[in-house]
Amino acid sequence: MINLGSYLIISFALFICGILVMVARKNIIAILLGIELILNASALNFVAYTKFMNNNLDGHIMSLFIIVTAAAEAAVGLGIVIRFFQLRESIHIDDAATLQN
Amino acid sequence: MDYTLSTVAPVVLLPFFAFVINAFIVKKFTKLAVAVSTGAIFVSFLYALRIFLDFLNVYSVGYNIHKTFTWFDLSTGSSIFKVNMGIYIDNMTSVMLLMVTGAATIIHIFSTWYMHDDPRFGRFFVYLSLFTSAMLGLVLSDNLLSVFIFWELMGFCSYSLIGFYYEKEGAGNASLKAFMTTRVGDVFFLLGILALWSVVGNVSFVDIYNAIGAGKFNNLYALGIPLATFAGFSIFMGTMGKSAQVPLQVWLPDAMWGPTPCSALIHAATMVAAGVYLSLRMYPLMELGHLLPFIAIIGAITAFGAATIALVQTDIKAVLAYSTISQLGYMVIGIGVGSYNASFMHLITHAVFKACLFLSAGSVIHSIHCQEMPQMGGLRKKLPYTFFAMLLCCFAIAGVPFFSGFVSKDRILGDALVMALAHPVYIPVALLGFAGAFLTAFYMFRMLFLTFFGEPRDHHIYEHAHHEHLGWNSNIPLLILSVFTLGLFYSGSFTGQGEVNLFGTKNEWFSTLIHRPDSNSLHHFAEYKSEEFGLVDTRDKVELPRAHFDESHGMSEKEAHHVHQIHKAGALASIFIAFMGIFLAYSMYVKRSIYPGWWTSTFSGWTRALKNKYYFDDLYVKKIIQGLLLPFNNLLAWFDMGIYDKYAVDGWEAVNRFAFNVSRWFDNNIIDSGMVDGTGASVNLMNAILRWIQSGKIQLYFVVLIVVLASYIWTIHI
Amino acid sequence: MFSNTLFMLSAALTLGGAFAVVYSQNLMHACIYLLASLFGVAGLYACIGADFLAATQLVVYAGGVVILMLFAIMLTGGTGNKINRYGLEKVAAMGNKKTYFTAGFAAVVTSLIILKIIASVLRAQPSKELAANQVTVEKLGTLLATDHILAFEISSVMLLGALVGAAIISRPRKEKHD
Repeated sequence: MINLGSYLIISFALFICGILVMVARKNIIAILLGIELILNASALNFVAYTKFMNNNLDGHIMSLFIIVTAAAEAAVGLGIVIRFFQLRESIHIDDAATLQN
Repeated sequence: MDYTLSTVAPVVLLPFFAFVINAFIVKKFTKLAVAVSTGAIFVSFLYALRIFLDFLNVYSVGYNIHKTFTWFDLSTGSSIFKVNMGIYIDNMTSVMLLMVTGAATIIHIFSTWYMHDDPRFGRFFVYLSLFTSAMLGLVLSDNLLSVFIFWELMGFCSYSLIGFYYEKEGAGNASLKAFMTTRVGDVFFLLGILALWSVVGNVSFVDIYNAIGAGKFNNLYALGIPLATFAGFSIFMGTMGKSAQVPLQVWLPDAMWGPTPCSALIHAATMVAAGVYLSLRMYPLMELGHLLPFIAIIGAITAFGAATIALVQTDIKAVLAYSTISQLGYMVIGIGVGSYNASFMHLITHAVFKACLFLSAGSVIHSIHCQEMPQMGGLRKKLPYTFFAMLLCCFAIAGVPFFSGFVSKDRILGDALVMALAHPVYIPVALLGFAGAFLTAFYMFRMLFLTFFGEPRDHHIYEHAHHEHLGWNSNIPLLILSVFTLGLFYSGSFTGQGEVNLFGTKNEWFSTLIHRPDSNSLHHFAEYKSEEFGLVDTRDKVELPRAHFDESHGMSEKEAHHVHQIHKAGALASIFIAFMGIFLAYSMYVKRSIYPGWWTSTFSGWTRALKNKYYFDDLYVKKIIQGLLLPFNNLLAWFDMGIYDKYAVDGWEAVNRFAFNVSRWFDNNIIDSGMVDGTGASVNLMNAILRWIQSGKIQLYFVVLIVVLASYIWTIHI
Repeated sequence: MFSNTLFMLSAALTLGGAFAVVYSQNLMHACIYLLASLFGVAGLYACIGADFLAATQLVVYAGGVVILMLFAIMLTGGTGNKINRYGLEKVAAMGNKKTYFTAGFAAVVTSLIILKIIASVLRAQPSKELAANQVTVEKLGTLLATDHILAFEISSVMLLGALVGAAIISRPRKEKHD
C-alpha cells in the first residue's frame, strides 16, 4: 500500500486541484490557496523519492526549503493583496488587469 | 599568465561589489558612490587589459581558458542532464572584455560630468555598475544558461535606465515597451536553450560544438522541423529582440528616453551588441540549421529600413538610435553571409564609434539643453572638441577609408557581394547593404552638418550655449574614444586590406585571431580541455602554435584570387558610395547648391517646399505627408502601427522621389522574392494572436503557460 | 497495520481537503479545508519516516500560513466605508462556469503530461526492500549545517527580505487625492 506509486498519485491529485483552484477562482486569496496546494504536491514528491529511491535525506532538505519559500511567498503575496485591497477596494483578480494596453 | 580566481573573477565581481556597496551608501554619500563605481570599473578594465595582452602575446587561434564547476547533476544512467557553470575565454572573449570594460570606463567618467546636476546622480551609477557586471558576466559565460541569466539582468538594468526620468510619462512607457518587446525574444531564447539541452544534456558552448561536430542533431525533429533549425531560430529570436532586428526593433528608438550616457553604454555599445555576440557564439548551430540566408535577409531589411527612417529624424538622439539599428543590421548580415570575424569586428568598431557619437550628442545636449537639430547649427565654434570627435566618428560610420567603420563594414559588404554572386538568394542582401551604406553616409553627415555647420538657426539657444573647455571628464573621454575610430587599430594596416601595413608584417591580428567555428573546424573543440575552478592554475603549459595570417583563408589560390577581386570591387564601390553620400549631404545641407536645381527641374511640385530650406524638415513633417506613399505604408503595417508606421511614412516623404523609387524597387523585390511575404503573414498572424492573448488577465497567461510547457514536454520527452 | 491505517486516513484527508478547496464556495471554508489538506500531507510525511518535516509542516502551515491567510481574508472583507465589491461568499468571486471550464482544460492538459511522465513509475513493480523508518532530526540538522549551509543562510536572508518587504508593501499610506 505505501509505495512510490500511491504517493505520486496523491501528489498528482493535489497538483491538479491546485491548478483548478488557481485558474478557476477569481479571488486573489483563493489563488494563493491554490499555490499552496501545488507547492505541497511538489514537496510530497521530493519526500517520497527520498524514501523510495535512495534514502539520503536530500529530498527532505528540498522540502524544507519549499516550506520556507511557501511561507515567504504567502507573507509577501498577502501583503500585496492587502495593499491592492487598499487601493482598489477589491480582491478580484480581473481588477488587476491594468497591464492591458 | 595564470588564470585563477584572483585574476579572472575581479573583472566581473568588482563592478558587482560596487553595485552592492553603492546600493547602501548612495543616498548619504553620493560622491563616494560615484567614485566607487568609476574606480571599480577602471580596475576591472585593467584586469581585462591584462587578459587581452596575454592573449595577444600567445597569439594562437586555439588558445582558450575553460574552467567549470558542476552546479548540479541530475544524470541517471545514460541520459545526461547537468549544469556546469564556468568561464570560457578565447580570443573573441578577450577582445570583447577589453571593449566592454574600456567603453564602460569612458562612459562612467563622462557620466560624472553629464549627470552631475541630476537629482538622482548616484542612483544612475548604481544601475550602471550592475549593468556592467552583468554584461561582463555574459561575455565570460561558458554556457547558455548563465548567458540567459545575465541577459535578463541586463534587460532589467535597461528597463530601469530607460525609465530613469520616471516623472515623464513617455519614459515610463518606453521602459515598459523595451522590457516587453525584448521579452518576446527571450521566451524563444529560453525555448532554444531547452531544445539544445534535450539533445546535448548540457548547455556549455564547447559541448554544443562537440555535439554538432559529432552529428548528434542529425535526424532529430521537433514539431516536424529539424531540431537544429528549431533551436537556431529560437536563439536567433533572442538576438532579434535584444539587438533590435525587424520586427522586434520598435523598442530601441523609444529607449532614447534614458539619459544619454546610458544610451551610449547600453543601447549602442554593449547590450544590443550582446544579441549579435550570442548569434556569433551559436554560429555552428545556425549553419547546421540552414538559417544563414534567413539571418542575412533579416539583417538586410533592418539595415536598410532603419537607415531610411534615420534620414528624416530631427532629434539628434533619434538619428543615432536608428543608425544603431541599422549598424546592428550590418552585423547580422555579417553572420548571415558567413563573414564571422568581420561581423565581430563591426561589433567592436561600432561599439567604439557609436559610444563616442552618443557621448558627443550628450555633450551637445548638455551645452544647449535641446535635442532638436533644426534649432542647432553653427555649434562648431562653440564646441570645437565635440565637433572634432563627432567628425571622426562620422567618418568611421560612413565608411571613409582609414577609419574603423570602413575596415569592418567593407568586409561584410564584400562577403555579401561574394555570396550574392554565388547564390541568388543573397542578391537583395548585397543590394540593400550597399544602399544602406549610402544612406548611412548621407544621414550621419546630415546630422553633423545640421548640428555644427551653417548659421545658428535659433539664436537664443546659440547664445546661451556654453563655450567648451577641455575637461578630464567632459570632452577628454570623447577625444580618447575618437582616436580609436582609426582603422589601423583593428586591421594593423591603413587600408584594411592587408596591403599597406603599419607594423611591417603582413599580419592582421583581428582576422587572424578570431576564428570562425564552422562545420569544418568543429573537431578542434573535442580536444579542448576544461579544468575545475580553483585557486591554482592546473593547466598544462603547452606551447601553442602561433597563428599566422592566412591570406587565402583556406581557399585554393584561384578561388582566393577570385574572392579578392570581388572584395576589391566591393571596397571601391563602398568608398565611392560613402563619398557620394557625404557629398550629397554636403551639397544639400552646407552648400545648398545641388538640391534646388536638381529638384526644380525634375519634380516641380516639390520646389516650393525646398525654397524654405531652413525649416524643411519641419515642413516635410507637417505639410506634405498625407496619403502619398500608401504602398510602403501597407508594407510597414505589419509592424507597430503607431511608431514605425508614422515615422516610415514621414521618412518616405522627406527622402522624396529618389527614395520613393528605391522603395518601389524594395517593395517589388521583396514581394517577388516572396521571402519576407511569408514573414509578414506570420507576423500579422502573431499580431492577431498576441492581441487576443494580451488580455492582462493573469489566469489566462497561466493557462497559456501550462499549454506551452505541456506541448513542449510532450514533444521532447522520450 | 498502524501505518497503513494512518496512510489511508491521511490520504483521504489530503485529497478530500483538496477537493473541498476546489468546490467550496466560501473562501473562509476553503481556507479551513486547505488546513485539513495540509494536516493530511503532514500525516503522509509521517508515514514514510519524515518526522521532522511532518512537524514543520504542522507548525509552519497550520500555525503560520493558514492563520495569515485567515487574517488576510478578514482584512479584505470590507470595513467601514470600504466595502469589498464581491464580498466573502459571493459566487462571482469564487469562479463561474466559464472559469471552471478553462480550469478543467488546463487540468486535463497538465494531467496528460504528468501521467505520461509518471506512467513508467506506476507500471514498475517496487522491488527494493524498504529501510526501516528512523529519526531524521539529527541527520537533517547535520546536513543543514554542513552540506547545505549556503542554501540555509540564503533562505534565512530571503525570509528576512520577505518579512521587511511584506511589512513595507502592506503598510497603510496616506491617500494622495482625498
